[in-house]
Amino acid sequence: MIQPQTHLNVADNSGARELMCIRIIGASNQRYAHIGDVIVAVIKEAVPNMPLERSEVIRAVIVRTCKELKRDNGMIIRYDDNAAVVIDQEGNPKGTRVFGAIARELRQLNFTKIVSLAPEVL
Amino acid sequence: MRLEKCWFCSSTVYPGHGIQFVRNDAKVFRFCRSKCHKNFKMKRNPRKVKWTKAYRRLHGKDMTQDSTFEFERKRNRPERYDRNVAENTLKAIKKIDKVRVEREARHHAQRMKGKRAKERKEAAKELEQSIHMVKAPNALQQEPSLTLPKIKVQVSKPQTEEHLMEE
Repeated sequence: MIQPQTHLNVADNSGARELMCIRIIGASNQRYAHIGDVIVAVIKEAVPNMPLERSEVIRAVIVRTCKELKRDNGMIIRYDDNAAVVIDQEGNPKGTRVFGAIARELRQLNFTKIVSLAPEVL
Repeated sequence: MRLEKCWFCSSTVYPGHGIQFVRNDAKVFRFCRSKCHKNFKMKRNPRKVKWTKAYRRLHGKDMTQDSTFEFERKRNRPERYDRNVAENTLKAIKKIDKVRVEREARHHAQRMKGKRAKERKEAAKELEQSIHMVKAPNALQQEPSLTLPKIKVQVSKPQTEEHLMEE
């Protein structure tokens, strides 16, 4: 359940450390974003000497949420934190590595690059 | 279809039941119901919570070592389907289950041996030590043998001070 003003961790090495959601891409008045949704975010905290800087507006895809994710087979999964991966306009990740477990739903949404970089897909 | 074990209470988690929690180091915790999930969120140790399997095993309440448990082990090698094997397995499940139940009953009987005698002994001791709590206080008043006999004391009336003053 990510909405504007939600702070998210960054699950890659793009250079951002913390994001804040400012818009959800999709319907015009979509309230919450879930796993696999693309958001517009602003970088609240960045690693020094990296291409991404503080207060830069980027796009990111959500990979983990504290809110439970329900699958069609009845499985319910909950993660430890809200995390996103920074992407460009085409949906490719800006970083070269992805950290932590990632939901399998991203594969169906054509984020195969992120899924293949992830150490664990659950 | 895989039947997992609940992380907290070690019961079987059937498909569509319970919830999974994935920690950031990708360790998966499966819970059979919200009770177990809540207890996990409260950071309770399953070894210290009395109703869990972990507690019962640790304190010798349940049968721990038995060959029937070997069949329930997790195997990661996929088995190729064979009709005969499946048939035999289905037959064996019933038999193994029966054996397990019998052994568990025996274990329970063994554990409960001597409990009745112990209880009776304790009850007899308690009755002996605290019989005063059984008798009603009113009975003590009515029963003459239990109270001290009344003794009549002769009281001589002393002279009042006023009389002395007049003299």
